[in-house]
Amino acid sequence: MAEKPLELSRYCIPYTPFSKKLEESRICLVTTASVRAKDQRPFQVDGDTSYRVIEGFLPTHSLTYDDVHYDHECVDQDLNCVFPIDRLAELAEEGIIGGLTEKHFSMGFSQALRELRESTIPALAREVDRIRPDAVLLTGG
Amino acid sequence: MVTVQRAIEMTGISTVLITVEPEESAQARPPRALCPKGFGVGHSLGRPKDPALQKKILSDALGLLLEAPRLGEVVVREYR
Repeated sequence: MAEKPLELSRYCIPYTPFSKKLEESRICLVTTASVRAKDQRPFQVDGDTSYRVIEGFLPTHSLTYDDVHYDHECVDQDLNCVFPIDRLAELAEEGIIGGLTEKHFSMGFSQALRELRESTIPALAREVDRIRPDAVLLTGG
Repeated sequence: MVTVQRAIEMTGISTVLITVEPEESAQARPPRALCPKGFGVGHSLGRPKDPALQKKILSDALGLLLEAPRLGEVVVREYR
């Protein structure tokens, strides 16, 4: 009988060496701050294990967020406080990074940890893997 | 958040996390993480409408990709 595949121990830290130059690298942004495009389905603020794919060409004013768990003083004025898409675009224009991926990713708030671990997060990681960014920057709320 | 980071890193992609909860993040053992000290949840990138500060924090976070590994550690830096 086949053994269950081994899982990474929480004591073990996965590590992929970064061998490119930043100025040649496409960066993908992944947030857990419940950011989405305004025309996408809202996150349920009391718990939502889904994620949204955010098209890279969307301007910041077409994005919003659905949250009741973090302080909104900053983000109501400037979404870059949790989703620094304009700043990354500027770093690309300045030649500090190579560019941005065509898609970014956003998760909502959820305490359904098992579903996140077994379903949502593997699906998201595979989708990130398919667009092969050179590096991923993650932000919380 | 670190669970997401670790999953992406496991696919062979280098990752870096910006966190404002350094103790919690360190417990989950991130491959690379930066904590801008003093900013709370909702302010990961510092103050609103302060592009220079936001870009400094971003550049420092991305800079961790080029530095020697500090596995499981959250690098805490102060910003003004």
